[in-house]
Amino acid sequence: MADDDDVLVRVENLVKYFPVKAGGFIRHTVGQVHAVDDVSLIIERGKTLGLVGETGSGKSTLARCVAGLIPVTSGQVIFDGRDITKLSRGAMRPLRREVQMIFQDPYSSLNPRRRVGSIIGEPFAVHGIATGTERKRRVQELMERVGLNPEHYNRFPAEFSGGQRQRIGVARALALRPKLIICDEPVSALDVSIQAQVLNLLADLQTEYGLSYLFIAHDLEVVRHVSDKVAVMYLGRVGEAAPKEQLYETPRHPYTVALLSAAPAADPDTAAARQRVILTGDVPSPIDPPPGCRFHRRCPKAQPLCATDEPKLLPEGVSAVAEITAVVGQDIHLTACHFPVAVGENLATAARAREPA
Amino acid sequence: MTLLEVKDLHVSFPTADGVVRAVRGVSFEVEAGRTLGIVGESGSGKTVLTQTLLGLTPGAEVSGNALFEGIDLLELSDEKLRHIRGARIAVIFQDPLTSLHPLYRVGWQIAEMIRAHDKSVSKKQASERAVELLGRVGIPRPETRVNDYPHQFSGGMRQRVMIAMALSLEPKLIIADEPTTALDATVQAQILDLLLRLQQDSGTALIMITHDLGVVADIADDVMVMYAGRAAEKAPKRDVFYSPHHPYTKGLLESIPSSSAAGARLRPIPGTPPSLINLPAGCKFNPRCSYVFDRCLKEEPVLVPVGETGYHKSACWLPTQAAGLSAEAEVLREEIVQAQRGEAAAEVAAAAVAELGLSTSDEGSVA
Repeated sequence: MADDDDVLVRVENLVKYFPVKAGGFIRHTVGQVHAVDDVSLIIERGKTLGLVGETGSGKSTLARCVAGLIPVTSGQVIFDGRDITKLSRGAMRPLRREVQMIFQDPYSSLNPRRRVGSIIGEPFAVHGIATGTERKRRVQELMERVGLNPEHYNRFPAEFSGGQRQRIGVARALALRPKLIICDEPVSALDVSIQAQVLNLLADLQTEYGLSYLFIAHDLEVVRHVSDKVAVMYLGRVGEAAPKEQLYETPRHPYTVALLSAAPAADPDTAAARQRVILTGDVPSPIDPPPGCRFHRRCPKAQPLCATDEPKLLPEGVSAVAEITAVVGQDIHLTACHFPVAVGENLATAARAREPA
Repeated sequence: MTLLEVKDLHVSFPTADGVVRAVRGVSFEVEAGRTLGIVGESGSGKTVLTQTLLGLTPGAEVSGNALFEGIDLLELSDEKLRHIRGARIAVIFQDPLTSLHPLYRVGWQIAEMIRAHDKSVSKKQASERAVELLGRVGIPRPETRVNDYPHQFSGGMRQRVMIAMALSLEPKLIIADEPTTALDATVQAQILDLLLRLQQDSGTALIMITHDLGVVADIADDVMVMYAGRAAEKAPKRDVFYSPHHPYTKGLLESIPSSSAAGARLRPIPGTPPSLINLPAGCKFNPRCSYVFDRCLKEEPVLVPVGETGYHKSACWLPTQAAGLSAEAEVLREEIVQAQRGEAAAEVAAAAVAELGLSTSDEGSVA
């Protein structure tokens, strides 16, 4: 277990439900979207925790809770020793400097009517830090640091390409020297050749400023490239979490195995040799998650037990009755599965057998 | 048998800012039953290229030929092209939600497509065929799902409906434009698997347009890499991935975070693609290329065979043997480029010396 001093963020039993409303005059709640359901994790200082999962798995909601952007339903988010879920707006303000976000779409996350200098300088204005020529100097320093031409201070976002816009987003996130940057699909909208430029920049900044990243992406290769620890989410829960090498080399949850086998490899021989685990069906609705294991309806290894008992997130070899809270982001390989995949086991045949004729 | 043969296709769009030269002289063939993957970044012209073949680029200035089963698609009237589109060549677009009509049941939309091309089919027969097609693309309970509206399907299921519609008239060629880009990884795997299986069953040729080299590695037979409206490299799949010749292809492959180099620094291609209004002189990739030498700045290279088979073609001034990702290939490329740059420098120096020599002799004569 990591020392407390090394831990920047500690999330404990985080739950986030969104109410589903119906009715005309009298609005009433008819259900709950179980966006994040009982997740505990840590993010170490200067390290990267990668989150992977498909649409609706709750990874972006989790990130927004960690950033303190939305109230949590229950649980705690302890940032640098302070629980931020109970803070008032005013008390939250100084903490906002320490957590910044980089968003997926560099087109919609920048105001098209404002000049780049004013976009990057906005955090200074909000927190009343630098003004006038001092602000301009610092903004130009930031632009130079992220690989933009400081002379383009007065240009509009529309005059920049997608990759350059993402650099503007990075500069803005960096302005207040945060401790944690939450990257929500930061390179998904970029072309491959540009994607690599931004990933290298993020890596350099981490080394230079000792940043911690919570890195969300659906591209498994990108997550593997940047992360130290990786967690796989499915329908609001963490299915598997481990240090990067263990997760990618010896995945234990059938969903992780399927996800890894589904990711296209840019290598024809690997693609031909790979046994694809083709899952049946789609991700179920998070409003009404299936009973038992949330993955059981699509799982090639499902047994009757999986439909009734929800598996706990546990280290290998620990019995399910043990009363422990498994914390994601440590040096332990955690899996929430009754029948984990053994090394060398072939899931592809099992998946084929389950396919409807 | 060659199903589609495109020769020297040019497409440009006149705009207020200038002429956008989207496609500049592209030639390729698609054989019956095979899959051609067209890879390129945003603005490389891959989508415009195929949409032009189908008459979906109104207002464009088009030249060249596109022979499909011996008929030039670019010379057909709108009316005649409409008979080919759908019946002989089907298209699957990226976003199935915007390509299906939201107010009609999916079964009706498929039946309508069948009846639009063949009036002799009765409504009943057409809707029976719709059910059969939905079943074939793996939609559970097709006999009830046929009466659902598009919004009642998930993204992956909608893409299956699109595929069912594309298959409805048993086309000879399917053009799939980023069909899995909007889908999650596990659903993408389902759709690629389905496309492969259907292709094996029916022998349909497929053009797969994508920015994802992984998708190409998976399902293509041949690959064409496009850059700034031209084919940079064209070859059977294995040649492109294992012995790429064009520095752009090589750069693309090296910018992917691959498993072998996890955590190591990536080698991105510097810079950004050029504006299609103001293209650079010479090779359009030269501002981003690390092997650039004199000739690249002046003349634009054309596709020439670089392998022993003649099927592997590349549009680059590097000599043909300079292909591959190995360290030896890299050394060879560096040597060639140094020699070329040296030669150019020597020429400049020789010219300078000649001039200088002349002036010194002048001086000599004065003295």
